[in-house]
This record gives sequence, C-alpha cells and structure tokens, in this order.
Amino acid sequence: MLEKPTDLHDKFWEIFSKQDRQKIDEFKSYMDKFAVNFNLYKDGNFIEQSLPFDVIPRIISKQEFNKIEKGLIQRVTALNLFLEDLYTDAKIVKDGIIPQEFIDSASGYLKEFVGFSPSKKIRAHINGIDLVKDSKNNEWVILEDNLRVPSGASYPLSIRDTYRKIYPDFFEEMKIEPIKNYPKIITDAMNYVNTGGINVVLTPGRFNSAYYEHSYLAQKSGAHLVRAHELVVIDKKVYFKNYDGQKILVGSIYRRLDDEFIDPKFFNPESLIGVPGLIEAYLAGNVALMNAIGNGVADDKGIYYFVPKMIKYYLGEEPILQNAPTYLPYFEEDMDYVMNNIEKLVIKDVAEAGGYGVLFGHNMSTIQLEDLKMMIKANPRRFIAQELIEFYDEKCYLEGSLQDRKADFRAYVVAGEDVKVWNCGLTRYALEEGNYLVNSSQGGGFKDTWVMEL
Amino acid sequence: MYWLGRYIARVEATLYEINKAYDLIIDVDKDAGVKLYKKFEIDLEYTNAIDFLDKSIRGDHSANLSTILQNARENAIISREYIDELAFGEIIALNEMAQRTSKSDLRVDYQDIDYALSLISEIWGAQTKRGHRKAGDYFLRLGKLVEEVDFRLRFNRKQAMTELILEEINATFKLLNPEINIKASDNDDIMGDIYRQMDKLIVVD
Repeated sequence: MLEKPTDLHDKFWEIFSKQDRQKIDEFKSYMDKFAVNFNLYKDGNFIEQSLPFDVIPRIISKQEFNKIEKGLIQRVTALNLFLEDLYTDAKIVKDGIIPQEFIDSASGYLKEFVGFSPSKKIRAHINGIDLVKDSKNNEWVILEDNLRVPSGASYPLSIRDTYRKIYPDFFEEMKIEPIKNYPKIITDAMNYVNTGGINVVLTPGRFNSAYYEHSYLAQKSGAHLVRAHELVVIDKKVYFKNYDGQKILVGSIYRRLDDEFIDPKFFNPESLIGVPGLIEAYLAGNVALMNAIGNGVADDKGIYYFVPKMIKYYLGEEPILQNAPTYLPYFEEDMDYVMNNIEKLVIKDVAEAGGYGVLFGHNMSTIQLEDLKMMIKANPRRFIAQELIEFYDEKCYLEGSLQDRKADFRAYVVAGEDVKVWNCGLTRYALEEGNYLVNSSQGGGFKDTWVMEL
Repeated sequence: MYWLGRYIARVEATLYEINKAYDLIIDVDKDAGVKLYKKFEIDLEYTNAIDFLDKSIRGDHSANLSTILQNARENAIISREYIDELAFGEIIALNEMAQRTSKSDLRVDYQDIDYALSLISEIWGAQTKRGHRKAGDYFLRLGKLVEEVDFRLRFNRKQAMTELILEEINATFKLLNPEINIKASDNDDIMGDIYRQMDKLIVVD
C-alpha cells in the first residue's frame, strides 16, 4: 500500500515527467562507475557486489521529519543514559524497571566493563534507528535500535551526488535539505570524545561487507582509514604507524568491527582483525571508541521492549515515537498471547541481526508453528514477538516500470556534544513485491531520502 | 610544448572549478559561477546550474574552453614529434569534443565534463609513461606546473603546496638550465619571476 501522495510528491512527479527517460540508464551507469558496494558472504563464499539502488527517492516533509527528529533525539538520549547507568550504578535494574535476568542474559552485556565510564560518558555515538511508517495510523514506528556498528550512511551520500549531477532541476526547484554535513557531524563527535591524538576509522579490511562505506567515510571525514596492523598499543596508548614508521597518537577510533573481534588479548584470541591491547588503552581512558564496548545490550531485541520505559525513567517524558507492539514470552501473560496468536505475529531471535532470525507466522505451516512454539517455550528469553506492521510501500523504478515495494527507513543519530539527527537516512526496499524484509544482507536495495518542503 | 602543457592544465583546472561551482549553484549559492568567473575577469550570466555549465564551457568569453583547446590542438600539431602518440590522439579527441559541443544544439552536461577530464588524465598519463625523456617532455611538464601555480595564486590556495610545485618547477628548470632558480618565499611577484626565467630559457636574442 502506498502513502497518500502529498503536494511534495506531486511536485516530484511533475518534474520527473519532464525528464528524459534515458537519464535513468545514465543514472544507473554513473552509480555503477563508483562501485557502491555492499558485499555478501553466502555459502562460505565472498561475493563482491553493488548494493541495488532505485532512482525514485523517498520523500518526507520537513514538518514530519521534525517530529521524527525530536523522537530520535529523545530515544538516543535515553539509550545513552541507560548504558551509562547500567555499566555504573544500574539504578534502572535496582528500581525494577528492567529485570536483572534480562540484562544478564543479553549477549551484548559485558560484565567486565561494569564501573568503567568512557570519554564524556557517551557510549552510543553513531546510531542507526530503523523505522517504518504504519499504514494503519500514518505514524512512524521504531523497529530496531542499532547502537553497535550501524552501516549505511554512505549510500545515500553517494546516490545524492549522482542525483545532483544528473537531475539538478529537482534541487533547484524544490527545497530539499542538504546532506553533505554527515561526515562533519561524525568528525565533530570524534573530536568531542577524542582523548588527545588523531581520529581514525578502524576497518576489518576490504573483505568486510561495508568496506566501501569505511573508506568513503574516512575520506570524507578526514580520519585515517586503518586496519588493525597499522595500530599499535604502547604503555596503554594507541598509536597509528604511518608509512615511514612514525607513531602518531590516536585519540578517537570510529571502529567498524564488533566487540568480539576488536582485541584478541581481551576478547576472541583468534581474531586477526583486532588490535592487541586496545581494551587496556580504552579502560585507561587513553582512547575513545565509537561506539563504546558493550553497547550490544542496548540494541538487544529483548531490551528494545524496555526503551519506552527508559524514556519515562530517565527523562520523565512520554515517548514521542512508539515501538512496534512487542511481546516478551519471558513474561507469562505475553507468553500466553504469543502461543495463542503466533500465526499473525513476527517472531525475532534476539541474538540475530541483518534480517536473519526473523520469522513471519503467516508464512509458516502448522507444523513449523508448533516447532517454533516449542522453541519459544524452551527458551523464552531468546525470542520476542511483534504485531505485523503493515508499513507503506514506496514506488520504485524496477526493470523498466514503476513498482511498489515495502520500504523502511534507517535514521542516523549522532551523539557528541549534542545529539544530532542527520537530515537524510537510508531508505531500504525489499527485493520482491510483498516481502517485508528490506535488509541489505537480504538482497534489499536502497534509495535516496529527501527531507523537503515546497 | 610549454604552452601545450599550460593550455591543457588550464582546461583541467577550469573544469574542476566549474564542477564545484555547478554543485553550489544548484541550491547553495546561485552566484557561485559569477564569483568563479570574476577571478578570470569575466562577467558571466546564466539562469540555472545547467545553463552555467553551458555558458562556462562554450560561452562567448576569453575562458571559453573550445578556444583554449583549439590553441592546444595547434600546439600539439606543431610539436607532434615530441608528443607520445596516444597523448596526441587524446588531445585531438578533446578538441573535437569541445568543437562538437560548441556547435551542438544539445546542452553541455556533467558527462561532457567527466569525459573531458578523463581524456586529460590520459594525456598526462600517456606523456609521463615515456621511458626516454626529451627536452620537450620537460617543457610540457613546466607548462603544466606553471599553470597550476597560476591557478593556486588566483584562488589563494595554501602556500605550502604552491611552494612544493615551485620546487618542482625549479627542479625542471635546472634540468634545462642549471642557472635558473625561482625563489618562492618573500616573493610577491611569483608569476612575473617565472615568466622572466622562462624568457631566459626559451627567448633567443
């Protein structure tokens, strides 16, 4: 189902209709030239591929975006307060808002870091918050918080550059919010938490699915793109070894690898992409890590259920943006509901990400549903259940014609001196008609998002 | 060869500046193109970003790229024996593109600029790959570097990089005439100094 067109959509189609259709091919070949890749590992094989994209942008009015912005600032502020509280005093647990057992069983919760406060007490610096617009009430709903290593911001930046070259008319005739400031927002946040030294982007290397993004953001933000072997820890300080062997002190690391692999001395000893001793330097307060270690607890799908409660607890405010209606089988009442309504619910494995471990009750056979029920009963903490949100489709120009596809929206929220919401985001659309999974790792494509007014 | 280097470098630097101004004109600063051409002492008028591309590339003014490229082509033909074959071909193709564009009913767009920049990169690449260097190669290089300095001074770019280019110019001068040297620091007439040294190098009394 498509959203009711607004004046903004009408204006877009008016200008679009005057454009030569040949330009769409030009657009595609121009984008291909830049190898805007999101690589995949499938059946043990590394597949280097461009991320599919669509030429028709998602349009969000400035007024509507202002509300999203307020809601996201509120949410990320609360999530940062939660993380800092959880790893220091844990008042939210002591006050009974979140059960201790829920925290202890969250795979992203790292007890070893209790009592440690990172630079400026900010933990979730770069956040990707996934939203959809519910067609039933026309409201934006939060589906997920990604507070570890969210990717995707470089894709709209790339497609916008292409758009401006090929279709300047849109930007001349409509007031579309500029988006080039994203690398600057990241740089400002890195500078704010920097403990003294240069900024670097730490990448696992060219075989990571988002390596394109790592190099793009490093180039645009002015930070050095480094791999683990280019960093060395001496006396609990991190240094970048440059081309002539000179060691340059590092004050802030925008790390693009998971906790588990970041330091083989502290976490997985088999990690070849981590920096030995990095955690010692971090715990000594000699380097800032963006995002902080241990954030996985806050984007655990089970903890997601408690975010509206966190907002009330820490900020004394009602949430501006709502969660999708969510049930925790951990609670008896919710377990009953899930067991009785499983065929109409979406079941998510809390340990999975990227669209993996998501099951749609309506797509499953009776036997499959019974198996799933047994699994949920056996391990209720492992799953959450959500009402299926009938979110809007977006028009996409695919294979020579306009087609409707389900689309979500990942907003980027950066916490530095202030919490800032980027005036754009990653709109991801599903590969097939009627599919609800839009994740890039599930083959979904992306399109530009225009926050605009007439 | 010196002037060939200058013409091509001028076209290249101008195209980069046009690209930047084009992006600004779209929705940041409508007068970005006016300001750019003021630096070339030209009053440029246009209605929008696409029109700016058109006017900047084939407008009736002295920085018109098709005129510069016609000059480059003439120089290339005169100096043909000193030029790598591939580089020569690219110069001809570049000029043909400019002349075709100047007469076409179609407007100039970003693809023309991308194509021109790509050809220029090929010219520099083809010319530098030559193993056996002749004096002509150094003159082409001098022209390129001198033009870069000229642009940097016009656009008030960072002095440190300008000085680095001047060092390269000096190194190239020395290969051709060890007595020549341009002083970068405390020199408020760098271009004048370069021209005087060039005269020493190539003007025969």
